[in-house]
Amino acid sequence: MTAAKPRRKKSATPKRPTPPPPAQPVVLEVSGLTKRFGGVVAVDGVSFTVRRGTIFGFVGPNGAGKTTTLSIATGLMRPDAGTVTVRGADVWADPIAAKRMIGVLPDRMRLFDLLTGAQLLYYCGVLHGLDRETARSRTTDLARSLGLDDALDRPVRDYSIGMIKKISLAAALIHSPALLVLDEPFEAVDPVSTQLASDVLRRYADAGGTVVLSSHNMDFVERMCDHVGVIVGGRMLTAGSMDEVRDGLRLEERFVELAGGRQAVEGLEWLTTFSD
Amino acid sequence: MVDNLLRLKLALLASSFRPGSRRLGRSIAVSLLVVAIIVGMLGAGALADVTNPAHRAAVVIGAGALSLGILVAPLAAGLGSALEPRRFASYPIPSGQLALGLGLAGAVGAPGALAVALAVAVESAWLDLPERGVAIAAGVLTAITIILSSQLLVTVAARLAVSEPAARAVAATARVTVVVAIAAAGIAAIVAARGTDGAALERFAEVVGRSPGGLTWAAIGAPAGEAVARLAIAALAVGALAALWWWVVARVVVSPERRSAPADRAADRGLGWFDMTPATPGGVIAARSLLYWTRDPRYRVVLLGLPLAPPLIMLALLIAGVPLPLLWLIPLPFLALFLGWFSHNDTAYDHTAIWLHVAAPLRGTADRFGRLVPPLLLGVPLILITAPLFALWSGIANGFELVAGVSLGLLLTGLGVASVVSALAPYPAARPGAGPFDQPPLTGSRASWAQAGALVATVGFMSPTLILAWWGVTSDAMWSPLAGLAGVATGVGMLMLGVAVGGQIYRRRAPDILTLAQRT
Repeated sequence: MTAAKPRRKKSATPKRPTPPPPAQPVVLEVSGLTKRFGGVVAVDGVSFTVRRGTIFGFVGPNGAGKTTTLSIATGLMRPDAGTVTVRGADVWADPIAAKRMIGVLPDRMRLFDLLTGAQLLYYCGVLHGLDRETARSRTTDLARSLGLDDALDRPVRDYSIGMIKKISLAAALIHSPALLVLDEPFEAVDPVSTQLASDVLRRYADAGGTVVLSSHNMDFVERMCDHVGVIVGGRMLTAGSMDEVRDGLRLEERFVELAGGRQAVEGLEWLTTFSD
Repeated sequence: MVDNLLRLKLALLASSFRPGSRRLGRSIAVSLLVVAIIVGMLGAGALADVTNPAHRAAVVIGAGALSLGILVAPLAAGLGSALEPRRFASYPIPSGQLALGLGLAGAVGAPGALAVALAVAVESAWLDLPERGVAIAAGVLTAITIILSSQLLVTVAARLAVSEPAARAVAATARVTVVVAIAAAGIAAIVAARGTDGAALERFAEVVGRSPGGLTWAAIGAPAGEAVARLAIAALAVGALAALWWWVVARVVVSPERRSAPADRAADRGLGWFDMTPATPGGVIAARSLLYWTRDPRYRVVLLGLPLAPPLIMLALLIAGVPLPLLWLIPLPFLALFLGWFSHNDTAYDHTAIWLHVAAPLRGTADRFGRLVPPLLLGVPLILITAPLFALWSGIANGFELVAGVSLGLLLTGLGVASVVSALAPYPAARPGAGPFDQPPLTGSRASWAQAGALVATVGFMSPTLILAWWGVTSDAMWSPLAGLAGVATGVGMLMLGVAVGGQIYRRRAPDILTLAQRT
């Protein structure tokens, strides 16, 4: 037990000293992002910045605008207003320069699933400008680190949801981007693989990579991320270092407080009177 | 230096017959085959009676087919000849001398012997006639052309075949070509010997005579002016090939190796089509498209429909009262039009998987061109191989130029138009994994606009060609070659323009195409 204790303590309250503000340059700068679908405003003036070497957790209830924000930030969806720059390159004015620096894992999008895992990774690598040998050797390395070795020769169509998340993460990493944007990367991924992938991301961030990820799993975000932003109803309620946002509480408690989720239970009295 | 290279070539030849060599059996088998073909050619040349027009036609067909066969024969033996120019890159040999030496060394060995025997066989057929001078000139020019072009082909193929599977595919294609060439020559000889279908042979020989393979052979016995023109073109071609050979040798010895090193074969997972295309965005998109065309039922239905469509079209038109021989002109252009048009909604077939392209730093033209590779690879050979047959059956003069030119024009123009339309106005299609006839949840009027627009635009751009073709069929056959030229020119121009314009549109609209896919 004594051996386990320091580890638990570390995972509950990460002892990462917040980096001194002037030291790290801004990698991702999102400002004034707005997107409407018909009459509904999905994202309403969202702004935030992410600095080099940080893992930024993006949390919010269902339908809060996380996926829309991340899609716009990676150039996959056109905003109605606002700008996104990656290391100074505007994603919408100079997409080729910006996209070279971004690795994306979008949520709920198809892959070319008749390709085998190896073919898909090679495809992504070459689309991002890798040569044949580099794309192949990185495919092997990534498959080993993410536990995909046995699956590489099978068509992606036969993969489980968790495996698809893993191969998508590998596809996002293969060109060693400066910025990784991951939408729900660990949904349906088993704990062992989550641990493997977290280690990969941790190492990537320590080496100067920048990660933005969204998740519903507050414990995971609290363990994994050093910065966090809370989005509710298309607005960014708060963003900053993990300690600032938590404000002494656990992230989950703080999140529920911000999202105002506790009142909803009141209307369901009938659920306490059983029909037997 | 040159005699050193020749001695090296002789030593290589001798070594393949060394007792105990692993390849001894193969060497003996190949040389028996070569000897048999040489004896066959010389025998046929001696027996042919070129005063008989059918025999003369058979000589043109047979010699033309065999020229092609001998030309690709070195590739059939597998790539990696010991005398590739690259292998001499590390020696201080002036590239001019290297080109000369290797060119001469190419004449020594099986392909050289075959080329010379072919020339001798044709010359022997004409030996007693006044045209023997032309025959000798044609034979010499052709033999040199074959030897030079086969050297070029081996060098270029070795540079292009960047991986093991690609090299195997090249060798397999070459083997099939050799077999087809030998079979064609054999059939021509048999038909001529039987002496019943002389007219068909003569018409076919006319087609061969107009192709590069029959350029020189058809000069023998032709009117003086035509013969001189043909030989002059052949001589120019030899000069151009020699210059090209010089240039290629000089370039190859200083450019880096592209073939993937066989050292990492252990980690070499076969990537199928991806091993055969260059590792560029356009190349991998082409490979992915090829894989989908062969595996995805939504594309495969096209491959299955292609052989079925011509009989159906012909039947329908026959019932409508179109006279039969002319009807043979219809199916191929129709197929070409359909094959080109089919790509007009290609982006929608990706569904949301297109995000992989949107998220990549991709030039629009790479996406556009990569998607067109499967229909091009399928359509262009199909047209070139079947057009002579359809032209022959239709019985009209200059039919080959007409059918081939118009069909190529329709295919390439259709692909150019599709390249713009699929970036500009994709509409919901059957989803990945669905059957080819499953309808998407909503199609709406956009679908019919895009479908009709692509078709009308293709036919519209091709209308000058089609008018020329109509004149060629109904009034004067001299319009037909013009129609063919116009078709090819329109096709190539519209394809390039379509890819360029489509690329621009794609670059601007890529995220919107993805949004559309998400909504359906």
